[in-house]
Amino acid sequence: MSDTNSEFQWRSGLRQLGTAAEPQRDLWPSIQARIALAPRRSRWPKLVAAAGVLLSAGGAGVVAWHVHSGVEDAPEIASTALEWAQPENPKLAAAAQDLDNASAQLQQALEQHPDAVFLVGLLNRTNGQRMRLLQTPAASDDRQG
Amino acid sequence: MDGAALSMNLPLPEREASTDDAAALVRRASAGDVRAFERLYRDHVGRVYGAILRLVGMDRARAEELTQEAFVRAWQKLSSFRGESAFSTWLYRLGVNTALMDLRSRRDEANVDDAALEAAAGGEVPFCAAERGDLERAVAGLPPRARAVLVLHDVEGWKHEEISAELGMAVGSSKAQLHRARGLLRRALGGEA
Repeated sequence: MSDTNSEFQWRSGLRQLGTAAEPQRDLWPSIQARIALAPRRSRWPKLVAAAGVLLSAGGAGVVAWHVHSGVEDAPEIASTALEWAQPENPKLAAAAQDLDNASAQLQQALEQHPDAVFLVGLLNRTNGQRMRLLQTPAASDDRQG
Repeated sequence: MDGAALSMNLPLPEREASTDDAAALVRRASAGDVRAFERLYRDHVGRVYGAILRLVGMDRARAEELTQEAFVRAWQKLSSFRGESAFSTWLYRLGVNTALMDLRSRRDEANVDDAALEAAAGGEVPFCAAERGDLERAVAGLPPRARAVLVLHDVEGWKHEEISAELGMAVGSSKAQLHRARGLLRRALGGEA
């Protein structure tokens, strides 16, 4: 048999390997147990909440945006939240935490949509708010909006 | 436990879900219906497991582990499925990605010398006809990265551009790996003939 014919058969044989195969055991019980514990992705609602926090933190103005997620198989995302110091004023700790969460969510969203310029704007504003919290003197909390 | 144990004995569905059925199942599963997701699992596990099995060199235990992982990831990401491709395609790609992520996390071949690999692949061994079992064993015996490229290209029908994107390599590297993999395969099959 010529090399050409053998190669044809060989390639054809490889293509025929691409068939479905059944696992030797039923994997569903294990999957079912794992999905009962596995949180489902809900990035965008969190992001909307993050934007809400941003707006309520004051000074951000009116931001209206719509999210269109075209990514169907996004890779796992790593937490990339910045590490900020706590504000001097303890009454601002909760707001600081909210802004940190918002910042982390925005950074994760940016990893999924690196071309989304509006996310960069939101992230900059969030970090700006967080920076201002740090710079707020402990005695000036009454002036916070 | 009883539900899980019972479901182990459930027969596989007699037919593939129609497109409409599949869309309805995806919607229900996306809304949290575990039974709908189980139906999707049973309809699609063969294709996903088959692809993963070939990518991991016919290591059944590893393939089962990665198939479970793929379906858990599918459950978590179902809300991001927009129907821009068929659900079966989305799931299949997710399964392949899961196997490739595992491959990328293993650096067994990082220190393999390219020249040694090239020499091992050879180029003088003629093609030999091979039975399916011989082919499967020969493919399974390839180094993981070369095997992944050969399986994706010659078995699954992917293009080099797709392979290089998924494996994080240049298109030229994908072509070189395929050349090596075919050489190694030819040598393995030639040795058995």
